[in-house]
Amino acid sequence: MIKFQSVKKIYEPHNVVLDNINLEIKPGEFVSLVGLSGAGKSTLLKLLTREERPTSGEVLVEGVDLADIKDKDVPYLRRKIGTVYQDFKLLEKKTAFENVAFAMEVSDTDPEEIEKNVPQILAVVGLADKVDNFPEQLSGGEKQRLAIARAMIHRPTILLADEPTGNLDLVNSYDVLKLLLKINELGTTVVLASHDSNLVNTIGRRVISMDKGKIVRDQTHHGRYVI
Amino acid sequence: MTNFKKIIRSAWTNFRRNGYLSFGATGIMALTLILFLGLLSLQFLTSQVVASIQGKIDVSAYFTADATEEQIFQVKSDLESLPDISNITYTSRDQALADFKASHAQDQLIQDSLSQLDTNPLAASLNIKAKDPSQYASIAQFLENDKFRSVIDKIDFYENASVIGRIQNISNGIRDWGLAATFVLAIIAVLVTFNTVRLTIFNQKQEIEIMRLVGASNWHIRGPYLVEGGFYGLFAAAVALGVFYPISYFASGKISSFAPEINLFSYFVHGIAQVFLLIIVLGIFLGVISSFIAIRKHLRI
Repeated sequence: MIKFQSVKKIYEPHNVVLDNINLEIKPGEFVSLVGLSGAGKSTLLKLLTREERPTSGEVLVEGVDLADIKDKDVPYLRRKIGTVYQDFKLLEKKTAFENVAFAMEVSDTDPEEIEKNVPQILAVVGLADKVDNFPEQLSGGEKQRLAIARAMIHRPTILLADEPTGNLDLVNSYDVLKLLLKINELGTTVVLASHDSNLVNTIGRRVISMDKGKIVRDQTHHGRYVI
Repeated sequence: MTNFKKIIRSAWTNFRRNGYLSFGATGIMALTLILFLGLLSLQFLTSQVVASIQGKIDVSAYFTADATEEQIFQVKSDLESLPDISNITYTSRDQALADFKASHAQDQLIQDSLSQLDTNPLAASLNIKAKDPSQYASIAQFLENDKFRSVIDKIDFYENASVIGRIQNISNGIRDWGLAATFVLAIIAVLVTFNTVRLTIFNQKQEIEIMRLVGASNWHIRGPYLVEGGFYGLFAAAVALGVFYPISYFASGKISSFAPEINLFSYFVHGIAQVFLLIIVLGIFLGVISSFIAIRKHLRI
């Protein structure tokens, strides 16, 4: 599903953020990526959405080398991959409904389907009564659940979550985690980057630890947050 | 079609929700367009002033007393074959005397002296107006070589040559500097508009990047912003026209009090369809192009 082969990322002049990464993630896995900030977790995720390109090495998603994707085809890649961020990245000028609908509109989805699907997914993440609210009228937890709804509307095969609980309190963090686990149960591969040890330890799945741009530990089962 | 409607609706929603920003951008663009209309007025006024100065230039050929009317008319028709002539008027000796008497009707001394003479002291003349004042030298040259040169007493171009030259320099100067000023101000106006739209887009830079991240193609993002830029232009054009016409009406009254032949307002009323079309198209064009250029930078993610 996802494959990194000898991936290096160097920010000029010589700031090595990823150093010789070799990693394979199989379909349906739930992978936690842990490490201190600056360890290279976010950069690793950005390579998957082509926000960044590797300095050397290959990144493959579903067998396709991302270096071979033309700039104009990048949107198609991003529609296959759902993303959730620490800062939510919601469109402030659009309502909850419009935020989710926008992700569907960009792939030219039939308007009737949008009208039907958006309220459904908002109900799944518990925002049925906030359909017409703007992001600034939502709490942090609600914003993140809205972002997850937007990420899931395409039924992506991969969901990338970069510190999704970084701005949330304990209760909201666990709500978000429960949603991610549910999404994973339905077949989506989930990659979660986090430095919240308690959260990661409750998951008990594969944990990959990173330090200074390198993978230092890869526990495939019952992983714990260790650096 | 539904797609286009969707883009328009989305642009309109964005325009409304960005209230202050839209208001500011529209206001700046309206000022720009008013400046353009002002420049149009300036062009019109300078061309009118130049035309009225140039209309005052002419050349006359005076004929000797023994020149026959046939000869004079022959010279006239020769001149008329030239492409640069706009108008030739013939004044006979009797007509010249009558005009002279009429214009000095109040002056008893002149009237008395005229009545003392047995013969008419005045000459028949052709008064020649050229389409372009630079042609007077060649017209004088043409008369110089005419086969009836012998009956032409004098050509007053030579007395007036320096004055004609100076007037021509002045009117060329007004025209050229007017054009240069228009050009410079137009560039400033375009830059100000562009910068304003760029700032409004910059303000929405994060939104654009988010749209890229959820998989929107460039045209999908651009569409509504281009239409929004068009909205700025459209509303700005409406405001500019709404402000400019009353101003030109009042200004017109002031101008005609010292230059009665110039009517600014009627010029703009006469060409109202073209002016509206020009300003609206210009406004929309400026808005859309500025958005297009401004948004490019933020689509690179």
